[in-house]
Amino acid sequence: MARMKFICDAERCIECNGCVTACKNEHEVPWGVNRRRVVTLNDGIVGAERSISVACMHCSDAPCQAVCPVDCFYKTEDGVVLHDKDLCIGCGYCFYACPFGAPQFPQAGAFGVRGKMDKCTFCSGGPEVNTSDAEFKKYGRNRLAEGKLPACAEMCSTKALLAGDGDVLSDIYRERVMRRGKGGEVWGWATAYGRPDQKGAPVAPTPAVKS
Amino acid sequence: MMRLAMVSLTALGLAACAEAPQDVAQVKGKYAGKVDAKPYEEGPQKMTRSEWEKSLRTRADNQNEYKRVN
Repeated sequence: MARMKFICDAERCIECNGCVTACKNEHEVPWGVNRRRVVTLNDGIVGAERSISVACMHCSDAPCQAVCPVDCFYKTEDGVVLHDKDLCIGCGYCFYACPFGAPQFPQAGAFGVRGKMDKCTFCSGGPEVNTSDAEFKKYGRNRLAEGKLPACAEMCSTKALLAGDGDVLSDIYRERVMRRGKGGEVWGWATAYGRPDQKGAPVAPTPAVKS
Repeated sequence: MMRLAMVSLTALGLAACAEAPQDVAQVKGKYAGKVDAKPYEEGPQKMTRSEWEKSLRTRADNQNEYKRVN
């Protein structure tokens, strides 16, 4: 298996917010926190308006992980970026670093006090016993441990949002683009997965020296 | 005798002033939290890595309606 990724097909998203609702319901996310949301691009421009579903993209080179002052982020062997809420101090650095606005902060008290960061877990829980109550309360349901994919993608009615192994998703998307003959641009992929962090990744060819 | 008692009392009085180190043992840039079990190792549906991958692959393939419908 390569690594877990999300794809949102802007040609197919109908802005129904089914993914947002599925996520909220699956993890019983508190009021004010949206792990996933639907964003409109080119709003009001006739023919160019598109909608996409955005959450944590589980980046190859996650900026949230790089800026965290308490190092509470980790990446699983399947490329899912998770964090330990027991360690998080709610400083908000990850929110400023994230290009997708994924980190969310619940209103923990009066005077705008922020709680511990909450974000999409790719439905794979966190550093607690898999499928335990503690894991559910802190991180939500662990569907990956049940052999299932994220609820948002499995619930998507038009299959605009796809989740799973990057290779499988690429195959599905490639076939779609071939059949419809347009819409090959995948929003956010270059930002999220543009810099390969794995050893043995293809190296950019060096330009030939002119004599 | 009096002097010994004074020294003992002073030592006893200062005993609570000691402070245990409270810093988190942390190496910058390295994950400092709890270890997370792999998704297929724990939980009600414990399985092998290959079984787990197969399950996810089947679900991921089901997202391709060209395969499902045709």
